[in-house]
This record gives sequence, structure tokens and C-alpha cells, in this order.
Amino acid sequence: MIALGQFLEVLIGGLMSGVLYSLVALGFVLIFKASGVFNFAQGAMVLLAGLALVRALDLLMANGFPFWAAIVLGIGFGAAIMATTAWLIERFVIGPLVNQDALTLFMSTIGATFIIEGAAEMIFGSDVYPLRLFPTDAWFVLEGLFPGGILVNKLDVWGGVIAGTLVAGLAIFFQWTKIGRALRAVADDHLAAQSVGIPISRIWFVVWLVAGLVALVAAIVWGTKLGVQFSITFLALKALPVLIIGGLTSIPGAIAGGLIVGAGEKIAEVFLGPSIGGGIEYWFAYVLALAVLLVRPQGLFGERIIERI
Amino acid sequence: MRAPDSSEVLLDVERVSLAFGGVKALRGVSLNIRKGEIRAIIGPNGAGKTSMLNVINGFYHPDQGAITFKGRTRARMRPFESARGGIARTFQNVALFKGMSALDNIMAGRTLKMRRGLLWQMLRYGPAQAEEVEHRRRVEEIIDFLEIEAIRKVPVARLPYGLQKRVELGRALAMEPDLLLLDEPMAGMNLEEKEDMSRFIIDVNNHYGTTIALIEHDMAVVMDLSHRVAVLDHGLKIADGTPDEVKKDQAVIDAYLGVAH
Amino acid sequence: MLEHAKLAWLLPKRAQLHHKQARANVPVFGIGTDMAGGGSFDTFPKLLLRNAAQFGARPAFRHKDLGIWQTWTWAEVAALVRAYAAGLHRLGLQPGDTIAVVGSNRPKLYWTMMAAQALRAIPVPVYSDAVADELAFVLAHAESKLVAAQDQEQVDKILSVSDRLSHLNRIVYDDPRGLDDYDDSRLIAIGEVIEDGRAALAANVALGARIDEFVREGDGFDIATILYTSGTTGASKGVILSTRGCIDAATDTVRFDRLTADDVVFAYLPLAWVGDHYLNYVQGLVAGFCTACPESSETIEQDRREIGPSFYFAPPRGFEAMLTRVMIRMEDAAPIKRRMFNYFLGIARRYGESILIGNSVPLSGRLLYALGRLLVYEPLKNVLGLSRVRVAYTAGEAIGPDLFAFYRSIGLNLKQLYGQTEAFLYVTCQPDGEIYSDTVGPAAPNVDIRVTESGEVQFRSPGMFVGYFKDQAKTEETMTPDGYVKTGDAGFFDKKTGHLRIIDRAKDVGRLADGTIFAPKYLENKLKFFPNIGEAVVYGDSTEFVCAILNIDPVAVANWAERNNIAYGSYQELAGHPLVYDVVAKDVAEVNRSLAGEKVLAGAQIRRFLILHKELDADDGELTRTQKVRRRFIAERYAPLVTALYNGSHEADISTEVTFEDGRKGTIAARVKIYDMQATGSAESLGKAA
Repeated sequence: MIALGQFLEVLIGGLMSGVLYSLVALGFVLIFKASGVFNFAQGAMVLLAGLALVRALDLLMANGFPFWAAIVLGIGFGAAIMATTAWLIERFVIGPLVNQDALTLFMSTIGATFIIEGAAEMIFGSDVYPLRLFPTDAWFVLEGLFPGGILVNKLDVWGGVIAGTLVAGLAIFFQWTKIGRALRAVADDHLAAQSVGIPISRIWFVVWLVAGLVALVAAIVWGTKLGVQFSITFLALKALPVLIIGGLTSIPGAIAGGLIVGAGEKIAEVFLGPSIGGGIEYWFAYVLALAVLLVRPQGLFGERIIERI
Repeated sequence: MRAPDSSEVLLDVERVSLAFGGVKALRGVSLNIRKGEIRAIIGPNGAGKTSMLNVINGFYHPDQGAITFKGRTRARMRPFESARGGIARTFQNVALFKGMSALDNIMAGRTLKMRRGLLWQMLRYGPAQAEEVEHRRRVEEIIDFLEIEAIRKVPVARLPYGLQKRVELGRALAMEPDLLLLDEPMAGMNLEEKEDMSRFIIDVNNHYGTTIALIEHDMAVVMDLSHRVAVLDHGLKIADGTPDEVKKDQAVIDAYLGVAH
Repeated sequence: MLEHAKLAWLLPKRAQLHHKQARANVPVFGIGTDMAGGGSFDTFPKLLLRNAAQFGARPAFRHKDLGIWQTWTWAEVAALVRAYAAGLHRLGLQPGDTIAVVGSNRPKLYWTMMAAQALRAIPVPVYSDAVADELAFVLAHAESKLVAAQDQEQVDKILSVSDRLSHLNRIVYDDPRGLDDYDDSRLIAIGEVIEDGRAALAANVALGARIDEFVREGDGFDIATILYTSGTTGASKGVILSTRGCIDAATDTVRFDRLTADDVVFAYLPLAWVGDHYLNYVQGLVAGFCTACPESSETIEQDRREIGPSFYFAPPRGFEAMLTRVMIRMEDAAPIKRRMFNYFLGIARRYGESILIGNSVPLSGRLLYALGRLLVYEPLKNVLGLSRVRVAYTAGEAIGPDLFAFYRSIGLNLKQLYGQTEAFLYVTCQPDGEIYSDTVGPAAPNVDIRVTESGEVQFRSPGMFVGYFKDQAKTEETMTPDGYVKTGDAGFFDKKTGHLRIIDRAKDVGRLADGTIFAPKYLENKLKFFPNIGEAVVYGDSTEFVCAILNIDPVAVANWAERNNIAYGSYQELAGHPLVYDVVAKDVAEVNRSLAGEKVLAGAQIRRFLILHKELDADDGELTRTQKVRRRFIAERYAPLVTALYNGSHEADISTEVTFEDGRKGTIAARVKIYDMQATGSAESLGKAA
């Protein structure tokens, strides 16, 4: 019974953090699905969003704004910053490179990463800024079934709920609405999309904006967990195995991949750790991703690319 | 071949020049396209035909010269502006949305015709739904016209080349264009497929009254289909007239035989 | 012009008697609660009116157009047909005139037949893939004043031969695409004719009364239609069918198969073929069910799936093609799916037939079968579009026993029937409970069959034809003095089951030099049972041994080639490939083995064969329009190959003229290889050797 309880605790903890990974992965999937571009700068966007938010929050609170007003305005400010960023990226980074191949566009996002990171820190500062938007204490559940109950982190629960809602909303958005067709067209073939009259620049702006907002949400959750700081950009790296496992073009895949990675690495750490040696948490996700690449390169939910030769 | 009704000029290309580095793709080429006609642009490889089309379409911006379309002259035009202006285009290598079905590809061609903005469509607001049905009906008519009912749900990446070209034509037609640019529509087709495609092109011109400019290598096809032909060679226009006139033109014969000039 | 009075003298006295006797005490309509008894519905227009009155709101016709299924109810159809008849009357169609109908299955063409019959005129359907010359022959022979054509393609064909058609003065067409510019004054759209009729009826009451009078005056002796048979030898003959005969026969079979107004059929086989006319058009009018027409010939599979017919007919090659497609896709499926598929097919093989006919089956068997149904059989039938089929028939040629058993084992009630145009289809049909793969069944209701001493099958039936149009000599040749029709097929009654078994066309049955019976169709069918072999033609009458000219099935063999990494650039290359020859040789050897086991036929084993470099085609005259081989024609056309087969050469050159789809001609040349086969010893000699 104790082992089961412990297992459940680790599992739930892992799943929760998995959802948070999904949140970051989501930004990648959105942009890739809608423009065919792999956005290396997603991590930087999370940082930018987080910094904008937290600095605005601090400023407003320092000037006597009540907590709730400060949050709303702060989020609004963060959103505005992300919108500006989306516009700038579309205008100066990828817009001019429309019709180039995917690799070129990818490299331009690498450049954008450095600029965003540098600009963010220059404007908003490079300290660690704690974020206190919701409770982060622990919570013990199911005390009746298991002695001592199962430890669940409230932050993780909040994060799970937010991420879940966001993901569900986006999934519905893509499945049901017709904008999906135009976005898929743009992702598929720029030349064709342009000649059919689809306004690529407008669509790209919208897509990067949405990805920016997703980054903002990710920043809120992760910022509360880790504090808003430069190392948040490394979340992007953690998202990579999630994308590989789940498939780069699938929103449900991002969720599934996140859950698998999150739960997997925690469980591996706790239960395999003692036998193999510690630190499994760090490399487990990547090894899993490698295995998936060998067996099913498009990911669990990704689309199989069938090309006619 | 029924002659076009009017001699009104739809597109006028005036002394357009285009160079890529040292390569002069177009050298002061002038030609016009009359409303309702089928205009062929032919010439040996490297003559500048696709460049001409790209300039008309807005993919390339000419170094010199001007393009007047429906009475409006513009210097630089972006591709989706030309689409909005009423120019539809097919590509030599078939630029279809590979992951989508034939039906969705052709529906994508209706994008510009959708009055309600993207937002309304997203939310499936009432009038947008009705509009969707209307668009679908138009697209089905095109599918019927091109006889591709059997493959409407098939992802185009899986279709054979000839059918892909037909779907691409369908998508261009869905835009209800004033001017249809066809870049080598018969490339890679066998005799039967060429005949089918020729029939469709003639039907489009007759039935919808669409003005068509096409680049083609197959001489027999060009002579049969077009009202007027312009011949390019090394970026220069060397002949312009009816198919019969052009066939007999010595400069044209020399160009094709490779006589140096 | 043929008045119905003439009909009487065409009808041999005895046949008339038979008609009266057969109809004596049997109520004409007594099927289910949907049909009212009483009242005389002895013509098609009257049936149409009855259907409009009784099931007016039920769907009568469906057609997929512009991506969606359009529906017309019986009430709508009756109104449409009345207007159409008025329109045709105004175009000059008189009672007794013939109107040809050429095209694929489209509601407007079926309505043309109904409208013509309402005016007591005679519809003459023609095969849509007939070349211009064939079309010209039929139209001229039938003296058609009007033609209903489906689309531009048909109209072009008609116009190209219209100088030979002195009677023709109007062409009505269904699909206007491409016909806008044609300025031939004879052309008019069917839609326009109907509109004109509607307007005329509204304006002029007397016209309506006249039309109704035509309908009232019609009776069973009116000629219902003239169907031209594609002859395997000689020119087409026009088979005259009487209204009474048609309706009586259809009433019997509608009762036999319990068809009602709730059923749905899928009309995809040529509408000039007696099967389509009988099973869809006539049975449809009698039972009141819905006839669904596909969007185009390329969308047949999808459309069938969408419609889900409850009654289905396909020739054996149709069922084989469906199965081949399924098998090919199964080969691509994941191993676990394949294992499951094969396992449950085995279960079906064991219990399926018994369950279908209601025999006792152990509980474990029933449970496994039920599981199989959930996982395999129902999804399979769903993919094929056969989920709702209550009754399925096949006919036209022998069906492979494995193929037949397969469909029955997964729960498809597949049965066989046998017939011909002169019978208005049904001569025999298998009732539920008496289904065998190698018989065609007992006589159909009210049909008498006898087999003469020479082995020829003869019949007499309610639906039998009245005579050949303008060919009294041929009519007398085909009918016996006592009113039986000579089918020209050789057959016998199976002792065990009492069912009829057909061997071959009577005149094709011959003997080899050593006296062994040579029944070419029997051998050809055995060969065609193998999926790799698409078509087979055997020769051997009065010769030393049997030789075969084979066609590979392009789909099955292409698939096999792909899996075995065999490259080829064309059908000709594939057909000539040595490895393909080897694979086919194995099938031929199998046939030989089975022949060796039958004492009477052991000498008819196939000694030499070749694979033809091109597919046999009806457009080249090698097959009839119903895909039957024309042996003599093929022997003449490929004479060098036949010579080579018999003189021991191992290869032969051949050059033939072919007709492309648009009617142009070209030549194809090839060097064809010939393989020798070892004759398997007969069972006796094998026994000795062992």
C-alpha cells in the first residue's frame, strides 16, 4: 500500500509537470502547424513574456495598485509586448524570408532568439524575479486511502488546469474552425498560398501572437515555479523531446508527449534511480525521444509524410 | 476556334526588363493580352517565359518597364495583391497543398471570394455558414467540370501527376479570375491527358470567358489552342501574331533550330 | 413502326397459351402489406401511377450529383414522367415508335423509358460504350425516330453517324455540358422537354387527357422494350419483350426475393443489359423500391458504400475484383490485423455457411462467429458497401467455389441465377437454403426447363421474349414448335440437388482428336478462378491437345510484381515477364491437376499456353459488351499465335490493330512466348505409379 501510494504521488507529480512541459511545447506546435517554421525563439518568448509581466506587476504593486488590478494590467501589458514582438518578427524576421525553405526560416528564428533574449534583459533586467500569482504550497489528498496522504503541489494543479483549458481551447479552435484550412495551406506551400490570395503576413502575425500568448501563460506557470529568470529559456530544450514523442504537428500530441515525458522521467528517477545511479531525470526524456525516432519518426500523433516520388 | 469577342486589352506589358545578376532574363519585352483570348507564350528553353509569367504575377519585380492590368499600372505588386486583382496561376511543378485533399485545395482557391472575414468564419457564424455552402457548391461545379469527382477526398500528394495538374487548374478556376496564367499545363502528360487538358482549357475559355495566358512547349497544342502567340528567345520577343503567322516566321524557325543570332 | 396488333402474330400460339395458363389463378400482386391487391396494373405507366398513389413519399430514384445525393419520390417521378411524356408527344413520338436510350445509369434516362412507355412507344436501350458503328446499326435497325443520349460523348457519336439514320429526327440529352454551342436543330435538352411538357399540360387540358388516355389504353400486349443482345457470334439481334411478360416475370421474382418498397438497389451495370433493365427498372416499378445511380463510373465503390443497397448484383469478376482489392490492402496492414483477419476468416469458413442457412452450430462456434462479425465481417462488408444487402446475385459465368464460399461465409446471402436476354433474364435462380457454388439453381418461379438429348437447355417462362425484331427466320430458329426457347447452352440436371448445371455454349462443346470432351468455357472458368488470370480462351476442338491464350489480371499481378520487386514499364512488359509466366504456370498446373482427377476430362489438360501482350477488349471486338470471349474472332485475329501454339514453336510474333478509346486506330506488335505444361497423369496412372 505504501509503495502504491508513493507510486501515485510520483506519478501525479510527474503528470503535472508533464502538463507544464506541454504548455511550452504547444507554442512550438502552433507555429509549426501554421507556418511550417520551427520557432527556436519560443523559449526566449517565454522569458520575454515572463519578464514583461513580472516587472509590470512589481511596478504597479509598488505604486499602490491592488493585487487584482495589477495582475490584470500586468497580463495585459505582457500580451501587448507579445503582440508587438509578433508584429516585429513577422515584419523583419520571417516576412522577408517567405518562400525560402524551412531551414532558412529556422535559422532566422535562432537569430531572433538572441535578439529577444538580449532585448528582454536590457529592457526588463536580468535578475531572478519571483512571481506569486497563486499558492505554491503542498496539499495532501486521499488521506483516507493512503497513510499520510499523497503530496500534490497546488501550483502543479493550477498549472494543470490552466494548461488543460488552454490546450482544449486550441484543439477545438483548430479542429472546428475553418481558419484551420488557411493555416494548413500556409504551412504547406507558401507559393501556392500566396497565389491563391491568402494573406500570409496577416496569418503569420496572428499565429505568432497566439504563440506569444501561450508563451505568456507558460511564463506565468513556470515563473511561479522557478521564478522568472534567464534559465527559463532552457525550457525550450525540455520541450524538444516532448515534440519528438508527440509529433510536431499535433496539439494532442504535445499533451500526450508532455505527460509521457513528465511522468516517465519522475518515475524513472524515483524507481530506477537507486539501481542505475541518480540523475536519470536529466537524460531520460532524450533517450525516450531517441527511441521514438527510431521506431516512429513522425511521433505518436504526427502526420506521416507520404511523398510521391 | 471561336475568336475572342473584344479587342479590349486586359494586360499590357511594356518594355519589361529583368536581370538576375549577369543573366538577362527579359530584355525590353512588350506584349499585350486581349480580353477573352487564349494567348500562348512560347520559345526555346531559357527564353524567359516563366520569368514573364512571374513578372505578371508579382513574384518578380521588373528592373524596368511597367505592367498595366485592367487599366491600372503598378510598379511593384505582391503576389497576393495580384491574386486579389483577379490573376490566378498554375505552376510548372504543381504547387498544391500536399497534405490536403483535392476538395480542400480547390476550396482554398475560394479564399478571396469569402466575404465574411476570417473571424466570422472561425466562429461559424450563420451567414458565414451559408456562404460556406455556396462556396462548396461552386467548388463541386468545378469538380464536375474537371471530372475529378472520384478523387475529391484523396490527399493530393497521392495523386498521379496528370490529376494533380487538373486539381491545380481547379483551384485557379475557383478564384474566378479575370486572367488565368498556366505555366506548362501539359508538361509530362501523355496524349490522352493532353487532349483532356486542352479540352478543359478551351471549355474554360468558352464557358467562363476567362482570358488565358499559357506557356507551352508542345507546338501542336499551342497552334490548336491559342488565338495569338508571342515568341520569346533569350529574353527578347522575336515574333507576335496568330499561330499561322508565327509558324511561318523565319526568326522563329531559326530560334528553334538553334541558329545563332 | 410496330403496332401492337403485329405482336399477336409474332407470338407463337403455344406461348400465348402458356401465358394465359400461367396467369390463371395467381393474384398479380400479393406481396407484403405495401401492395394493394386488385386493380389491373398490367403496364409500366400504370405501375408508376400506382406507386405514386401508394408510396408517393418514398424515394424512387437517387443520383449523386455535385457531391450530394439528390432524391426523387414516386410522386415526383410520376409528375415528371407525365410532363416528359407530354413533351415527347409534342416532339412527335407516337405509339409504336422506338426511342433509343444510350448512356450510363441516370434517372433521366430511366424516366425516358417510362415516358416512352406512357405513350405506348418502345424504349430501346443501347450500350453506352458502343462505338459509333454499333450504335448506328442498332438505331437504324430499330428505326428510331428519337434518341435519348446522356451527354456530349454520346451525342457526338450519334451525330457522326446520323447520315445513316434516316428515321432519326430528334436527339434529347441529359447532361448539357459541352452542348451549349451545338447548333443542330435536332438537339434539345431533356430538362427543356420536361419543362415544355409541364407548361403545355398546364395550358392545355386536352393534352393531359390525351396522355392519360394513352396510359389507359395500354395493355399487356404492348411491347415493353426491345433489347439488343451482344452476340458472341454474328450481329446483334433485337429481343422483343412484351409488357405482360415482363411484369409477370418480375412479380414472380419480387415475391421470390421478398422485395418491397423499402429496398434500395444500386444501378451501375449497363442499362442496356437485360440484368439492369430487369433487376432495377422493372422490379423497381413492380416493388416500388429505390434505384440509386452513381455519380460516375469512377466513383462506384464510394457511392455503393454511401448508398448501402439492400439488393445487389455483380458478375463473378465484380465480386472477385472486390475481394482482390481487400486482400491487397490487407497485405499492407499491421501484422496483428492480418493475423486477426486470417483467423476470423477461418472461423467464417468453418461456421459461416451453416449459420447463414440456419443449421445447428456449436455454441463456441456461434460466439466466435459473433466476435468475428464485430471485428472482421461487418467492417469488411461495410468497406465493400454490402452491409445492408439482404440478397445478392451473381450470374453470367461460373463463379469460383472459393470466392462464392468466401462471401457466403461472411454473411452475404449470395446466390446464383442463370438466364439470358431471350428469357428476360431469369431462367433459374437459387432459393435460400439451396445454395451451391457449382449449380445455377432450380427453375425460377413459373419457368419450365427441359434438357434435350443433345444436352441443350430449353425453357419456357412468363417473361420469355416474343421474337427477334425484323428477323422472323432467327426467331423460328430459336423457338421450338411447342413454344420452348433454345438457349444454345449445354447443361444437365444435377442428380444430387436437382439443380441445373451449365457446362458451356452448346455449339462450343467439341471433342479432341482422341475423343475427350472439350468444353472450353468449363476449362476457361477453372483458369479464371485464379486471381492472377483475368481472362482465358482455350482451343482444342478436333485437335491433338488443348491450348490456352491467357490474360493476366492487371491489378492482382501488378500487386504481386510490386511485392516481388519486379520492374516493368507497361502491361505488355508485365505480361511477357518470365517470372509472371512461372506464376501463371503454377495456376495452370493446378487446373491440370484438378482435371486429371476427373476421368472424363483428364485428356483435356492444357498442354501449352501463352500470355497475351494486351488485354482482350470489347472495343476491339474480342469480347462482347458483357465481357464474354469471342473465341472464333480471337482465333482469327491472333491466327499466328494459335498456329504457333499448335506447331510447337516457343515464341511467335504478332502484330494487331487496336482501337483507342476515342475511336482512332493503331498497331501493337509483340513477340509472345509459349510455355509447355507437363500433363498430370490421370488418377489411375498416378495410383499405378505409387
